[in-house]
Amino acid sequence: MDIVLVVIAWCVVWWMGASLLLAVSAASAWASPGGAAWIKGAGFLTGAFVLTLWMRALSALHVPFGLLSIALPLVLLGVAATAVARRRGLLHWTAMRIALVESVRARDLAGWRRGVWFAIIAWLVVRYLLLFIDVTLQPLYPWDAWIQWATKAHVWYSLKHMVPFVGVNQWVAAGGAFYTDASPGYPATVALWQVFSCFVLGEWNDVLMNIPWWMLGLAFPIALYGALRRMQFDALSALVGAALIATLPLIDVHIALAGYADLPMAAYFTVAALAMLRAFDTGQRGDALAAIVFAAALPTIKTPGIVWLLTLAAPIVVIVAPQRGPRVVVAGFAIALVALLVLAQTSAMVLGYRLHLDFAPPWSALYDSLFMLGTWNILWYGVVAAAIIGARQWLSTGVAPMTMLVGAGALFLFFVFAFTNARAWVESQTTVNRAVLHLAPLLLVWAMLVFRAWSRRLESVSPPSAVRPASAAAAS
Amino acid sequence: MTGDPSTAPAPLPAEAPPARSRFAHDAGVAAAVTVAAFGALFALYLAFAVPGAWIASAPDRSWKASELALVGGAGSVVDGALVITAMGANDTALVTLNTEISSADYPGIEWVVSGLPDTADVRLLWRSDVARGHTNLATGTVEAGTLRTFVLARDPAWIGHITGLALAIRAPLTSPLRIERVVARPLGVMDIARDRLREWTTFEAFNGASINTITGGANTQDLPLPAFAAAGAALAMLLLLALGRFAPTLYAMRAACTIAGIFVATWFVVDARWALNLARQTRATVARYAGKSLEQKHLASEDSELYAFVEKSLALMPKTPVRVFVAAGEHYFRGRAAYHLYPHNVQFEAFRDTIAPASWMKPGDWMLVYHRRGVQYDAERKLLRWDDGPPVSAELKLLEAHGAALFLIQ
Repeated sequence: MDIVLVVIAWCVVWWMGASLLLAVSAASAWASPGGAAWIKGAGFLTGAFVLTLWMRALSALHVPFGLLSIALPLVLLGVAATAVARRRGLLHWTAMRIALVESVRARDLAGWRRGVWFAIIAWLVVRYLLLFIDVTLQPLYPWDAWIQWATKAHVWYSLKHMVPFVGVNQWVAAGGAFYTDASPGYPATVALWQVFSCFVLGEWNDVLMNIPWWMLGLAFPIALYGALRRMQFDALSALVGAALIATLPLIDVHIALAGYADLPMAAYFTVAALAMLRAFDTGQRGDALAAIVFAAALPTIKTPGIVWLLTLAAPIVVIVAPQRGPRVVVAGFAIALVALLVLAQTSAMVLGYRLHLDFAPPWSALYDSLFMLGTWNILWYGVVAAAIIGARQWLSTGVAPMTMLVGAGALFLFFVFAFTNARAWVESQTTVNRAVLHLAPLLLVWAMLVFRAWSRRLESVSPPSAVRPASAAAAS
Repeated sequence: MTGDPSTAPAPLPAEAPPARSRFAHDAGVAAAVTVAAFGALFALYLAFAVPGAWIASAPDRSWKASELALVGGAGSVVDGALVITAMGANDTALVTLNTEISSADYPGIEWVVSGLPDTADVRLLWRSDVARGHTNLATGTVEAGTLRTFVLARDPAWIGHITGLALAIRAPLTSPLRIERVVARPLGVMDIARDRLREWTTFEAFNGASINTITGGANTQDLPLPAFAAAGAALAMLLLLALGRFAPTLYAMRAACTIAGIFVATWFVVDARWALNLARQTRATVARYAGKSLEQKHLASEDSELYAFVEKSLALMPKTPVRVFVAAGEHYFRGRAAYHLYPHNVQFEAFRDTIAPASWMKPGDWMLVYHRRGVQYDAERKLLRWDDGPPVSAELKLLEAHGAALFLIQ
C-alpha cells in the first residue's frame, strides 16, 4: 500500500510537470512525431524540479513542510496548466489516445521492424520490473547517498523545513543552530525528492523514498525517445537509442541503488541540451522555456551542474554565428584552458576540485573504465567508431551544435581527470564513471547524429546503382 | 540505427526475389557471418591462450582442503576450507600437498584462495621425480584477493611426475585467508573456454563499489566481454561490408544498416549477461528483504549490529534533536552511525579517524563511540577522554560488550 501511495504521488508530480510542458508547447506538439513522448518523459523532469522549487519557496517563507502544503498547490498548478492546455486546444482526447496507445502498438512499423519494436519493449518491461523490485526493497545503500544526500533529507523531513548544512567550523560556532554532514554545500534537489516521498508516507522511510529514481529512470528514456523522434529519427531507431540508455548497466545501478545525484544530473543535462537545440531549431517558445527550466535545474542537482550549464553556451555560439561560431568556440576552449592552467599554478580550489599543474592523465585506468569493464556495455566502442567514420560530419549542418556541446563537455571531463585531484578517483575507479555518466546520453545522441549524417553522405556519393529500381532512380 | 532510407536493404533487379525475402536472406547471411566472426575470433584467442594440447587427455584433478598441510603459520579446516589465521616467521605461511600427477597432462595449477592482500608475495613450489631433492618455484599473481592459475607449460622445471606442491604466502595478515582446494588443470581448449564463460557469467552482487563500476562478471577476467564483443562485432562488420562489395548477389544490405544492426545486436547480447546478473541480484534482494518491515530490513543489512546499537541509543536520547559527536575507527561506521542518528545534530569526520576536541563539547551534548580505540572512561570520576586529550565530564548511558558506548556530556 505504501508503495502505491508513493507511486501515485509521484505520478501526480509527473502529471503536473507534463501539463506544464504541454501548456507552453506549440499547438502541434502532442501530435507531432515524438511530441507526446517528449512531453510525457520530460514532463516528469519538469514536475520533479518544480516540486523542489516549491519546497524551497515554502522553506524560504517559513511555511512548514506537510503533504498539504507541498502537494495541494502543485495539484492546483497541474489543474491550471491542464486548463490552459485545454483552452489552447492542445488536449484532444483522440490525439492523446493515439499518442498514448497507438504509438506503443507501432502500427506504422511493419514486418521485422515491428517485431524488433515489441521485443525491445518487452525487454525493457522486464528490466524495469527488476529495478522496481530492487528499489522498493533495498534500504538506502550506496555510500554518498547516506553520507551527504539523505542526511539532509532526514533532517528536513523531521524539522519540516530546510535547515542549513554548513562546514564543521561554522557548525561549532553556531552551537546547534545548523547541521553538518560530509558535504554540507551540496545542492538540495534530490534530497527534497526524498523529503516529499516521506511526507507522502507519513514517516521516514529510507527504502520507498527512493522510488523517484526509478520513475526518473523510466521517464528519461521516454523523453530521449521523444527527442530522437523530433530529430527525425524513425520510431525504431529512436526506441533503440532510448533502450541503449535504459539498459546501460551504470544507469540501471543508479536506479536500483538509488540515492545519488548523477543519474538526475545526466537526465537534466541531456534534456536541457536537447530542448535548447530544439528551441533554436523551431523557434518555439515552449521549447525555449523547457530548456531554461531544465538548464536552471542543473546547478541545483550537483555542483558540477554549474559547468554543465556553461557548456550549453558552446552550441549557442555556433547556432547564432554558424560561419564564425566554431572558431569562436575553439578560441573559447583555448582561453578556458589557459585560464585553468594559470589557476592550476596556485593549487586553487574550484567547485571542490583542487587544480594542480601536474599533467598525468590516468589513461590506463580510464581505458579500463570505458572499454574493458562491464559498466558501459559497448557504448564507447560505438561512440568512438561513429566519431571516426563520421569525422567529416562533425561540423555538418544539424550536427555542429551538438559537436560543440559534447566537445565542451569532454574537455571539461578531460581537464578534471588530467589536472585535478579527481585523477586519483579515476585511478581508484570511484568517480570516473559517474562523472562520465553526466555526458554519456548526449554523446550517444551525438554519435547517432554523426552516424546518420555519415550514412546519408555515403548514400549521396554512391554512384547510381544498377540495381536501383526505376522509381527510386527517377526520384533521385 | 538511422531513420533515413539508406538503412533499408538494397533492392535488387526485377529478376531478384521480392524485397521481403531478400531482406530475410541478407539478415540470415549477416547472422551467419556474425556468428562465424565471433567463433573465429574466439578460436584465435584460444590459439594464444591454450598453453598445451587443445584436447586434454586427462580430467581436472582436485584436492580438498583437508588434504593440505599447514607448515608455517596457524590455522585449521573450517567448513571445508583451510583458514589461515596467523602467519609464521617472516609473515610467511606455507601450505603443502602430496601429489602424483604428470606435468605433461596438467600445465595449470589453481589454488582456490580468497582474502589475499594485494601486496602478498605468493610462490608456488613443487618437486618432481626428475630432479629429486630440488625444489622449483614460480611467482603467483594476486588479483582481487584471489590467485590466478599458475600456467607452467613453458616452465622448463615443470617436467616429469610432480610429487609435491606447496604454496608460500608472505604478507602481513589483516584478515583470515581461506584455501578451498587445489586443482590441477589440463588447460585444454574446453577448459579455457569454460573458464571464460564462467568469468563472464559469475554473479556480481551489488556492493559498495557497484555505484561506481560494474566489473561485468568475475573480478578478474582474461578476456573482458565488452572488448571481445566489440572486436567480434567489428570483424563481422568488416566481413559483411567486404561481402557486400565483392559479392553483392550474396549480401546486399546497406553499409549503415549492417553496421547499426550488428552493433545493436551485439549490445543486446552483452546486455543479456547484465540482465541475467540483475535478475540474480533481484532474487538476492528479495531473499534478504522481502516481507520485512523497515526496521527488519535494516537489521538484515550489513550494518545490523551498528543499527541495533543506534536504535538502543536513540531510545535513551531526547526526542528533540541534540548535538551528537560520533567516534568510530572505520569511516564506514562513522558515516553509518551518523546517518542512523539523524535528525539529531550529528558531527562526524567523514574521512579521518579523529574525534572532535573536548573544547567543542558542552553539557547536554552526546557522544556515541563505536569500535574506536583510544577512548577511555573513568566510571568513578565520570570522566571521558580520548586520544590523550583533556578529559570531559560525562555519564555513561549505554555500554555494549562489542565496543560500543553512549555518553552524555555533563
